[in-house]
Amino acid sequence: MLYPVFSGNLLFIMNGPQDSVSAASAQRQVRVQLVSKQEDIALPENTGPILVPTGLRRYALSTLVNNLLGNDKPVPFEFLINGAFLRTSIDEYLTANGISAETTLEIEYIRALIPPLHIASFEHDDWVSAVDVLSATSSAASWASSSSISQGQSRILSASYDGLLRIWNMSSQIVATSPSALDGGHSASIKAAKFLSPTSIVSAGLDRTVRLWKYAESEDGFSGKIAPQLELYGHKSGINSLAVHAPSNRILTASSDHAVGFWSTKKSDAPAAPENLLPSAASRTSKRRKLNSSISTPQRGPLALLSSHTAPVSAAIFDAKDSTVGYSTSWDHTLRTWDLVTAALVDTRSTSHSLLSLEHLPEHHLLATGTSARHITLIDPRVSATTISAMTLRGHTNAVVSLSRDPHSSYGLISGSHDGTCRIWDIRATKTDKDGVVGESVYSITRKSLEEAGKADVKRVGGEGVKVFGVCWDRSVGIVSAGEDKRIQINRGEGVLSSA
Amino acid sequence: MVASAGSKKRKAVTRDVEEEAGAFSGDELAGDLNGALSDSANDLSSDEDDSEVELVDEFSSDEDDDEEDELDSDEIPSDGEDAVQKKSDKLTTAPSDDESSSDEAEVNFRIEKDANGNDRYVYDEINPDDNSDYSDVGENSNTIGNIPLSFYNQYPHIGYDINGKKIMRPATGEALDALLDSIEIPKGFTGLTDPSTGKPLELSQDELELLRKVQMNEIPEDGYNPYEPLMEWFTTEKEVMPLSAAPEPKRRFLPSKHEAKRVMKIVKAIREGRILPYKPPAEQDEEDKDIIKYDLWADEEERPDHIMHVPAPKLPPPGYEESYHPPPEYLPDNKERKTWEQMDPEDREREYLPTDFGSLRKVPGYGEFVKEKFERCLDLYLAPRVRRSKLNIDPESLLPKLPSPEELKPFPSMCATVFRGHKGRVRSLSVDPTGVWLATAGDDGTVRVWELLTGRQLWSVQLSEEEAVNVVRWRPGKDAVVLAAAAGDDLYLMVPSILDPELEKASLELLDAGWGFAASKPAPSAAEEGKRAPPQWIRPSSTLADSGVCAVIPLRYVAKSISWHRRGDYFVTVCPGSSTPASMAVAIHTVSKHLTQYPFSRRIKGGGPPQTAHFHPSKPILFVANQRTVRGYDLSRQLLVKIVQPGARWISSFDIHPTSSTASGGDNLIVGSYDRRLLWHDLELSQRPYKTLRYHRKAIRAVKFHPSGRYPLFADASDDGSLQIFHGSVTGDMLSNASIVPLKVLKGHKITGELGVLDIDWHPREAWCVSAGADGTCRLWM
Repeated sequence: MLYPVFSGNLLFIMNGPQDSVSAASAQRQVRVQLVSKQEDIALPENTGPILVPTGLRRYALSTLVNNLLGNDKPVPFEFLINGAFLRTSIDEYLTANGISAETTLEIEYIRALIPPLHIASFEHDDWVSAVDVLSATSSAASWASSSSISQGQSRILSASYDGLLRIWNMSSQIVATSPSALDGGHSASIKAAKFLSPTSIVSAGLDRTVRLWKYAESEDGFSGKIAPQLELYGHKSGINSLAVHAPSNRILTASSDHAVGFWSTKKSDAPAAPENLLPSAASRTSKRRKLNSSISTPQRGPLALLSSHTAPVSAAIFDAKDSTVGYSTSWDHTLRTWDLVTAALVDTRSTSHSLLSLEHLPEHHLLATGTSARHITLIDPRVSATTISAMTLRGHTNAVVSLSRDPHSSYGLISGSHDGTCRIWDIRATKTDKDGVVGESVYSITRKSLEEAGKADVKRVGGEGVKVFGVCWDRSVGIVSAGEDKRIQINRGEGVLSSA
Repeated sequence: MVASAGSKKRKAVTRDVEEEAGAFSGDELAGDLNGALSDSANDLSSDEDDSEVELVDEFSSDEDDDEEDELDSDEIPSDGEDAVQKKSDKLTTAPSDDESSSDEAEVNFRIEKDANGNDRYVYDEINPDDNSDYSDVGENSNTIGNIPLSFYNQYPHIGYDINGKKIMRPATGEALDALLDSIEIPKGFTGLTDPSTGKPLELSQDELELLRKVQMNEIPEDGYNPYEPLMEWFTTEKEVMPLSAAPEPKRRFLPSKHEAKRVMKIVKAIREGRILPYKPPAEQDEEDKDIIKYDLWADEEERPDHIMHVPAPKLPPPGYEESYHPPPEYLPDNKERKTWEQMDPEDREREYLPTDFGSLRKVPGYGEFVKEKFERCLDLYLAPRVRRSKLNIDPESLLPKLPSPEELKPFPSMCATVFRGHKGRVRSLSVDPTGVWLATAGDDGTVRVWELLTGRQLWSVQLSEEEAVNVVRWRPGKDAVVLAAAAGDDLYLMVPSILDPELEKASLELLDAGWGFAASKPAPSAAEEGKRAPPQWIRPSSTLADSGVCAVIPLRYVAKSISWHRRGDYFVTVCPGSSTPASMAVAIHTVSKHLTQYPFSRRIKGGGPPQTAHFHPSKPILFVANQRTVRGYDLSRQLLVKIVQPGARWISSFDIHPTSSTASGGDNLIVGSYDRRLLWHDLELSQRPYKTLRYHRKAIRAVKFHPSGRYPLFADASDDGSLQIFHGSVTGDMLSNASIVPLKVLKGHKITGELGVLDIDWHPREAWCVSAGADGTCRLWM
């Protein structure tokens, strides 16, 4: 323990146990000036230089700062001397850098980044293609102002290749499962699913339909029911991703038929479904028809099919601030901006690779897109932007198929890739080289399933068996990722990036 | 006479010296006497009597005043060795004189007068016989015995010799002096004649002294004393302390006032300008403006040797063997030493044996040194030397300039997805025209359709339980989705149930439309039936129909190759089996009419059965490859238009460049062969390959151009488990050839049963390719 003693303007620190540990280094003391750029953790103005033993390391310094701040709950800090993180004892740092112990060291401290530790894994029967989170801080909950979700009542929605949606509570129990194809469920793999509100879910998949589900939970919260509410027909090929905007009751879908679907969640708003795309229109044998649902669900068509892409559309999202603007990325290398009111194409940005995922960073007016060329390109969609690619984030070894914003920091971003990792990026951590501004990931989250199998070190060709298909970062739940290993993996997402 | 004159003069000189300078004269006399004594001693030993006689004669003649004779006789014995001979002559003459005298007197003595005027008995000499006993006794020794000589004081003799003759008392000094005194010599007599006057030369005492000094090599100057007393400049005494230990005088430490004065004087003079300090004389550049001077050697450089200069070859530097102290491994053992010694010197590999001398000073001289140097000189002198012009070409510069693969991106470089599910080999695969699905077919008799990006299997059908599906191909075009596969002897046309109802309906209608045509067609005649009846298309079994199979073509032979025409109405199959009749090996199927035709009635010449066939992407040309050649047939005119001879022994596959003939360039063809070659043909150029690429270690199974034309890529798949990606750009310019750059070797497939990668296909738009491996996996590379 450290016992700070005020003596005029100087603090003399007597550290008992450390003396015995490093008696020699404890002989030496150095003046340090602790500063922080973050106001909430800054020391009082009158705190002058502090005399500390040079044997201190990061942990001891962190304890010291916590003591000085009088924090009840210790906050881990990182220490920067001359812009470099202190990874050794001060003594070793001074020796290594040839700094005299006589000088006053200026040490900057910041909140330490906590590695995204693994919290839990929920196992499935089949590949998990997408996840979404319903929590007090999720967008679905924020849109639904009426009901609030308490801390422990967070739910995780997973969409699986077996065509089922599952809702999990935080103790890895399945609260609800969507009905099978015969009972009005998806007839093929689900590729995307989202909470529209705490009581409604949207999902879409390879059966070319977008389905709205009503989600009801029992009082105790241990059982629930997902009931089909609406089937939306219009796509001619599998749907790769979807985006929802609850306040305006709109859905955007991206399909392999080169079209972006724009849908309404309201039965009354939506036009009738195109007849030729209904499953009953299929001219297959009667046996196949039997597969079709026995439950009749209202069927509707799209508000608009935005088709100017020339290749499968991989992702479509709403602008985070303006729900009348949509963005879509496609395998035809383009990012297109749509005016959803008029269903008109506003802008096209061509890159040099197939784009597979999309996320909006509204604070920076950037769109992050994952490419098949194993990197993430940040694109400024504004007309004024001169260059297409504002930044490139490199590090993945396979296609980047899922992106999610950091709810804690406007600079943070997480990406899920077919290489079996999720990577956390800080768009400030960049450097400029010949390819322009290039960033590197802050953390890389590997699949827990690999570690459990003891094959964490085995190099997987093409992320075989551990491909990540979906990732979602929620403020309260953390980083939720799903993939080919048939699991949802939850990692701690708090304090991973230094907030600003 | 001259001699007598000399002796006279000498005598005179002697006497003068005696008189005037006793020191000189004493030396002179002693010298003369010594000589005289030795002479007389000789005389005494040889013939004492003779000398005695002569002496007597001398004195007697002296008495007779016959000076010249006396002097003459006196001179003879004193004249060295000549005198001895003369004496011996006298000895011979003397006895005759004696005999005559003895004859006259009959006595053995004769009486003569001595110098004092007394009678002197002179006895004849007795010649001793040769056998005389006394010959050894000294003839001159006195025989008087041990008696005092004073007894003979009164006699002229002092004793007797062995012959009894009296030993005469030698003349004493007084007698000589008396004789000499009796002779009157004029003052200044020299005995020389002055040649100018003819009178006797007379020299004064000073002149004689001068002559003497000259004769004695002395300094003739008068008054010079060579023995002056020594004046010591330094002491001759030895000092204990040779240097003075006295303290330095004070004056030595004081600045010299005198010098200061002198210096001040000079300083003053300099200040006043009377003395100008020394200035090095400035070089007088007599710059004459009119004359331009050229520095001929200003930029002279070291010139290279003359072109004919051939440097002497250098000897190799000495090695360890030549060392005087070589490492032990260089020292020969006994056996080697023996063989070396027994070998003929001519045959020896080297001239020496390595020897350990321990230290340099023990090294003996090298006996072969001169010989070795001589031979070296001979070598240098006699060996003709020629400058050999060496061709110095950087091998890198001969390589064609290839762009770096980095500039040719994108191309597949990493495995993105592994498709697992097939049991046994995957024989064939195909990416659908939209680029979303991948169809594969394998040894397990299934055809499977996968989601391309994720590797998720979406659909599969079991076409055959035991027979492998050899090939699967999507029908080109997006209006319908039809999959053609060949399993066993049959061809299957399928519509996988992954489509939306509209598209599925269109696809089914496309396939079903032909049933009507087939039914309306007249039944084949019996003659045709026997030989080569075209197969009738039949409906599949119900299980297959439920799985999505729409039509079956029983080909009766195993088809290994399916190739669709670009419009999607025709496809060509090839049954390369050797049992297949030549006429039925190649079949063209028309989907819309459910019609199968055999275009070839006979075997294609040369090169065995046909292997594979493709339609030209734009022209109505069918290319058929057999084992050796690729032939192009114009389908509309039914003509053979092209023969390509790649030179491969067994063609496995070929592909036609998708933009061939459309970009005004010629047709380009790549051919892969089982003998590991990948051959690029430009059909406009030659029948022979434009480029042969032999990069694989094993047979090449499949080759494929990127179909879009957007990426100038092509790839091949080989049994060595690797794919190779090439950049092969075809320009529209007829003059420029296609440039082929190897880009990437993609490894990952395991070799299973000697087979590696069996098929390859490109994504229709992206630079992605898929490969089917014998290890049961398919891989997507991007």
